[in-house]
Amino acid sequence: MRYPFVTGGSDFIQGDEAIARAAIMAGCRFYAGYPITPASEIFEAMALYLPLVDGVSIQMEDEIGSIAAIIGASWAGAKAMTATSGPGFSLMQENLGYAVMTETPIVVVNMQRGGPSTGQPTLPAQGDMMQAIWGTHGDHMLIVLVPSTVQEAFDFTVRAFNLAEKYRTPVVVLGDAEIAHMRERVNIPKPEEIKVVNRKLPRTPEEERMPFGDPDGDGVPPMPIFGRGYRTYVTGLTHDESGHPKTVDREIHERLIKRIFRKILDNKADIISYHEYELEDAEVAIVATGIVSRSAMRAVKMLRERGVKVGLLKLDTIWPFDFDMIKKLAERVHRIYVPEMNLGQLYHLVKEGAEGLAEVTLIDKIGGEVHTPGEIVKRIERGERR
Amino acid sequence: MQVRFAGIGGQGVVLAGIILGEAAAIEGLNVTQTQDYSSASRGGHSIADVIVSREPIYDLIVTEADVLVALHQLGYDTVKDSLRKDGTLIVDTDLVKPDREYTGAPFTRLAEESTGTSLTVNMVALGYLIAKMGIVKRESAVEAIRRRVPKGTEEINIRAFNVGFEEGSG
Repeated sequence: MRYPFVTGGSDFIQGDEAIARAAIMAGCRFYAGYPITPASEIFEAMALYLPLVDGVSIQMEDEIGSIAAIIGASWAGAKAMTATSGPGFSLMQENLGYAVMTETPIVVVNMQRGGPSTGQPTLPAQGDMMQAIWGTHGDHMLIVLVPSTVQEAFDFTVRAFNLAEKYRTPVVVLGDAEIAHMRERVNIPKPEEIKVVNRKLPRTPEEERMPFGDPDGDGVPPMPIFGRGYRTYVTGLTHDESGHPKTVDREIHERLIKRIFRKILDNKADIISYHEYELEDAEVAIVATGIVSRSAMRAVKMLRERGVKVGLLKLDTIWPFDFDMIKKLAERVHRIYVPEMNLGQLYHLVKEGAEGLAEVTLIDKIGGEVHTPGEIVKRIERGERR
Repeated sequence: MQVRFAGIGGQGVVLAGIILGEAAAIEGLNVTQTQDYSSASRGGHSIADVIVSREPIYDLIVTEADVLVALHQLGYDTVKDSLRKDGTLIVDTDLVKPDREYTGAPFTRLAEESTGTSLTVNMVALGYLIAKMGIVKRESAVEAIRRRVPKGTEEINIRAFNVGFEEGSG
């Protein structure tokens, strides 16, 4: 495969561009979208590149149609992605649930901007974290990855496709307007250096008949591909292992939904990714994700120079969430600060995990500016003087 | 090294930042480039930040600039406080009246005289900046200009860059 961009070298590109290139290298061959700041450059890049790698990029009538189209494409065998920002992500919520229920591997990118509603189109925010996790209705489970650099935008997008395929689930890449538009030097691996995971396909006639079964006991059913000789029923209604609606059978509903939870939660160790900095001897911790974790990292360095024993836990995934890890952290430190670009979302997850073993303090900020390292330093110094 | 370009919409401030960033990337340096502009397409302030380092970069926007390149009074007034006390201020001496020590040249006038258009003012200023401060090699900047300016305008932009570079070398 020849790619229409540099591989096996570095390039100086925006986060949006990095996401598009990563998707293509991870095997994405179908993109459906509707333009929206600050995610439009993903669409522009996919529209440019996909036809050159035998893929298809299509503009839909809106974001509802966009996610519907990629769900269909995925059932037709293509790795598929859409990208949007807050207002479009809101429109996608119903079909995000449909993808959960039908166990369809898709990647949905949401480059967060200030909300609610059309809000601040050009400015970054982290106000959609709870929406990414809980935006669609009903008991559901999915995976949410949060990049903090243009390099991570690339790496996490590749990972999003692999997790989607491995666990037959929608995966959300939750970026922000800052990551979308900033340019950084990014290392783009050679194609053979990228690990690409492909979904399980039915191996026997029995598995073909049971597209929602669990033949391997891992909760992930082999996925038949339309057009390859299977006859498959796909519905958002509660269905049995054959895919046919069974909407009033309590046991079937419970078995289905609990399996969808189990296939993710039993594999937390494989899915959850995080980084620890200077936490070994820390008395105070910062827990942060995405763009803000960069300022938090700098704040740790500044505070260490002033003798404050502080460390950083940077979360690459915010869902599934490792509550146990937060509890262990809370046992070691006396206070956990959570800087985030909203009025408190990740904070509530951290507080739940800490179980009262450490005080959890929110450092909120809204309005379209990432916390500066100095702002985080000031809040922690004030908090620790008490 | 934190470099901030400040001007008004239409002066090519963001492109100057992108080209400096590209040149740093060509040299294998870590580099982060961000921008801030008002929603007005012309006439509002326009800011481009470039952070270059051999170490990983955690900062996103320039908070303590080592160098501020100001092409217009409005841009200068908007961000002058972000320049470090011992930082270097480079200005278009026709268009910016600084209230502190500075260096510079009439970049817009030089652009018009050498290329017949003020549109190349960003390249004149970039050439001056690189001559004065180093940051990246002259050849890397020229290569970055070739990659990033609109096709067909490479030579006029490089000419403007060279005029600024000579001015800054004096």
